[in-house]
Amino acid sequence: MLQTRREFVTMLTMAGASDALGLEARSAAADAPPEIKKIRLVRIPGICIAPQYVAEDLLRTEGFTDVSYIQTPAGIEASRAVALGDADFTIIFSAPVILNIEAGAPVVLLGGVHVGCFELFATERVHSIRDLKGKRVAVQSLQSSQHIFLSSMAAYVGLDPGKDINWATYPSAESIRLLAEGKIDAFLAFPPEAQELRARKIGHVVVNSGADRPWSQYLCCMLAGNREFVRKNPIATKRVLRAILKASDLCALEPERSARTVIEKGYATNYEYALQTMRDVTYGKWRQYNPEDTVRFYALRLHEAGMIKSSPQKIVGQASDLRFFKELRQELKN
Amino acid sequence: MSLGTAITVCAEADEALPLMGRAPAFALTTQDGTRLTLDDLRGKVVAVTFIYTSCADTCPILTTKMAVLQARLGGDFGQRVFFASITVDPERDTPAALKSYAVRHGADLRGWVFLTGTPAEIRQIAKRYGVYHQKLARGNVDHTFLTSLVDSSGILRVQYLGVRFDPDEMLRDLQSLVREGQAADAVRSQR
Repeated sequence: MLQTRREFVTMLTMAGASDALGLEARSAAADAPPEIKKIRLVRIPGICIAPQYVAEDLLRTEGFTDVSYIQTPAGIEASRAVALGDADFTIIFSAPVILNIEAGAPVVLLGGVHVGCFELFATERVHSIRDLKGKRVAVQSLQSSQHIFLSSMAAYVGLDPGKDINWATYPSAESIRLLAEGKIDAFLAFPPEAQELRARKIGHVVVNSGADRPWSQYLCCMLAGNREFVRKNPIATKRVLRAILKASDLCALEPERSARTVIEKGYATNYEYALQTMRDVTYGKWRQYNPEDTVRFYALRLHEAGMIKSSPQKIVGQASDLRFFKELRQELKN
Repeated sequence: MSLGTAITVCAEADEALPLMGRAPAFALTTQDGTRLTLDDLRGKVVAVTFIYTSCADTCPILTTKMAVLQARLGGDFGQRVFFASITVDPERDTPAALKSYAVRHGADLRGWVFLTGTPAEIRQIAKRYGVYHQKLARGNVDHTFLTSLVDSSGILRVQYLGVRFDPDEMLRDLQSLVREGQAADAVRSQR
């Protein structure tokens, strides 16, 4: 093929730039095995974090030979486990992590995994968030993901979540029973509870965070890591995030197999609810959402709710390390 | 805050594709019964996919998409870009079965190779690329749809999950890797 001088110079420049960037060195770095073969993740009762479970085989492909879990409640306890170094990573709703970070905990958000998975179910006495004023609302515990999320929602519509809502703490199964009997007014469910409530026709959905604005415009769960682990093990961190993001895509692309995996590995017992979860939750769209916007949004909501004092900008600066996420957005397409 | 602000669509199309590491090597049997390794394709950009020939639903979508791309690549196809489709059903996908599948889908075998191997070989390669596959009842194979682009130096550069990817984007990625390879060749030839 004939080539003009200009084209040749352009090509030389491109090649020179590649050399200058150390293409081969970068390639070798990308090829390097993880610094550590063992990782510890957090297991919570819900399965909205299904990508973490679906990722197990992918994590082995990434070079991890020992993948283990510690069990915690969802929310601040899961974030705390990572901050304390009892676990290295967890998929978690970003707001509890923000609370931990404001308190100085060494935990960092590494990238978004999926959009909303919370659904507020209520009796006929509640048709909007404002209707929660003076009502009895069940959550697993104070500072659980449910409590923090619902507090954010309440503050967003001008309620004072600490004063205006009568919080009741019950295990999820008990909350579902009490909602069916009309003994509580509302319950914030996440998978597979929401799927069970729908199947059993208990209550009605007031807000679906995966479908209703503004909640649906932001990521819900993100991957959080222990800051020191991330600093010491950047290759392992990127490989963990890659496996998790691929698994998020697989949950969307292959819902039946992903649901089977969750059941076979013992993370849930009802296949139909697990399958519905794969279809209901917005997996596989992590590329389209900006994790920094999510952190800023929830930092604002938590500030409104009086749960944090720091400015959202300060939280954004402290909370996230998105370098691997940005690279993976280019590596993994769908 | 508006939806436009909240949702950031990735706009990094013009940047060089990242380096994911050395692509997992393979040595398999072609539709013509000869052995081929990934190293044999060094110097070409390679798109590696996983399919099986009796797949009735999704594999044909992927193969058809690739067939359209082979035409759009023009003179680069075969010369600078190669497609490698690896079966996940090696028990049934003999070289002859693969050849018949290739013909049915209009594959230009000057730039597209269909590969099979022993079940152990396929299992190992699929695992190394991160492709899950499992035989189901009635001969179907449940498997991950994953297309990996490998540059002319054998480095894995980008992976597409599923079959709904934008073919224009894949074409751009293939062409950018071709240009990158040409630029590197030009520098080498001047040294």
